[in-house]
Amino acid sequence: MSPISGLASSRLFLSELSVLFRRWRTWAMLVALAAVPVLIALAVRFSPNRPPSGRGPAFLDQITHNGFFAGVVGLVVSTPLFLPLTVGVVSGDTIAGEANLGTLRYLLVAPAGRVRLLVVKYLAAVVFCLAAALAVVVGGTVAGAALFPLGQATLLSGDTIGPGEAFGRLLLMSLYVAVSLLGLSAIGLFASTMTSVPVGAMAATVVLAVVSQVLDALDQLDWLHPWLFSDHWLGLADLLREPISWTSFGENALLQLGYLALFGALAYGRFTTKDILS
Amino acid sequence: MKRIWTRWLPAAAVPAAVAVAVLAGGAVAETPPPPATPQQVLALAAGHTARQFSGVVKENADLGLPSIPSQALAPATSSASLGSEASILELLTTPHTARVYADGPTKLRVQIMDELAERDAIRNGNDVWTFDSKAHAVTHATLPATAPPGNATPSAPPITPDQLAQRFLAAADSTTSVALGPSASVAGKSAYTLVLTPKSAGTLVASVQIFVEAKTGFPLGVDVYAKDQTSPAFHSAFTQLDLAAPAASVFAFTPPPGATVKQEQAPNQKASRPAAPAKQPLGGKGWDAIVTVPAGSVPAGLLDSPLLKQLATPVAGGRALSSSLVNVLVTNDGRILAGAVPLSALEAAAK
Repeated sequence: MSPISGLASSRLFLSELSVLFRRWRTWAMLVALAAVPVLIALAVRFSPNRPPSGRGPAFLDQITHNGFFAGVVGLVVSTPLFLPLTVGVVSGDTIAGEANLGTLRYLLVAPAGRVRLLVVKYLAAVVFCLAAALAVVVGGTVAGAALFPLGQATLLSGDTIGPGEAFGRLLLMSLYVAVSLLGLSAIGLFASTMTSVPVGAMAATVVLAVVSQVLDALDQLDWLHPWLFSDHWLGLADLLREPISWTSFGENALLQLGYLALFGALAYGRFTTKDILS
Repeated sequence: MKRIWTRWLPAAAVPAAVAVAVLAGGAVAETPPPPATPQQVLALAAGHTARQFSGVVKENADLGLPSIPSQALAPATSSASLGSEASILELLTTPHTARVYADGPTKLRVQIMDELAERDAIRNGNDVWTFDSKAHAVTHATLPATAPPGNATPSAPPITPDQLAQRFLAAADSTTSVALGPSASVAGKSAYTLVLTPKSAGTLVASVQIFVEAKTGFPLGVDVYAKDQTSPAFHSAFTQLDLAAPAASVFAFTPPPGATVKQEQAPNQKASRPAAPAKQPLGGKGWDAIVTVPAGSVPAGLLDSPLLKQLATPVAGGRALSSSLVNVLVTNDGRILAGAVPLSALEAAAK
């Protein structure tokens, strides 16, 4: 790629990011995600009884010992539905949204090229994945620090770590969650090239995320489980073991890259052979 | 723009590349140096000196029982912490991944990695700790100075592949024929396969395969096959193994703040197995042995436990807990008969 086209690509990427993060919808979704751990922390703080051990969302009973766990509970609670929902909205909108507004033609009139547009759109969706996971962590950390003590955190293995390392692990978990959503973003991108109705692409993406998790819960299909993109979603707790178990992080990243390769190639095939009329 | 079919080629190439990678990944297995006889491999396994290692163990069972998650058992038993009957059943019927650290005979840590939870058992010298992250509960016991090396918790069954393999190898006597199977790759190491086949026809065990590391003789895995079943009825093997001493901090455990710590009685060797002296082998030795616990020696409350009522099916003369590998018969007069034999053999022995 020549320097000029590289510059054009980065300019397109920056303009894409600014369009994404100037939308009210994007900020509404990020605030809603940040509100999940805040609501949980408030509920735990102002309920008359301490949450019982071993019931409700995992780690809920830990919040009263250490506010750091508000962010962890937020991530665990948001992973099955809220995060895929927001990622589905953003990635399903990528191409179909432009087609729906009639702006896709103009984007391609500029010497952007279809492949470059696809890549830039996908990278913007990846940035949103990271922002979404960080929104949960930030909301949880602020609420946890305001309502509960932040001290020694107890890991799953029973060992304790200091607050600095605990926050580091929380950031690692948000990275894990963002990586977990790469495959779903690629699916959304492909769905988005299939239609000019963005709601259809969004719904298809979110439904696939739910279907994948339902299949993952059926014991009879255990041969299929390693191939489902949601299989490692709750493996984020492996970062709370002592020593950290990196196996699930690596397997998850490999799986998500596989989904990215497959659905990226499908989106390429579809988008470069499509008649763009709007 | 013209529709060009070559644009779809990458989409077809990706699944092909994945398929090739999956197939090639399974084919990588280096062959160990040619061993001579099964006896040499047996001696190699018996003489292994690796007492320091850290590794990951995968274990699963296909006993023909439904999988019983601990959540389902929790109402029936109050606790699913390590060592309880519910946790043993759960360990036997659902797949597990555990990390095992060992340093010498008296330092051992087992971490059973459940989803969003973990159960730990740590033995450091004479201190034995267990930790259950779901209940946030700790138990602590101090072993008497004469306690034998081995298990982290004396009452828990051996769950690491090397301990299991030692059990089977110790039992490989005249009732067993030992052969050498095709060499395998376990945990990225080449391994000899010892195949123990019971000579008796009266047992449900078809064969036991033990994977022995070619260089050190360390048992890497155990597969137990039941009759009329192609997949192993029980499988336990390392998926990663590092034969270096783990960090000492792994074995140091202090109860986390806020956890409930329960001090347990130092398990007396006799007291921990009240029924052991009363067990009588009956009708056969070796693989088709039947163990009987007389009515008086059965621990009180076991027969009325909701767990047993839930799982056992009524048969003539009692209730039976039946699986493809092991059968347990609880007779109406309160005796317990168990063995790796068909249920009919247990019923005959009960008469």
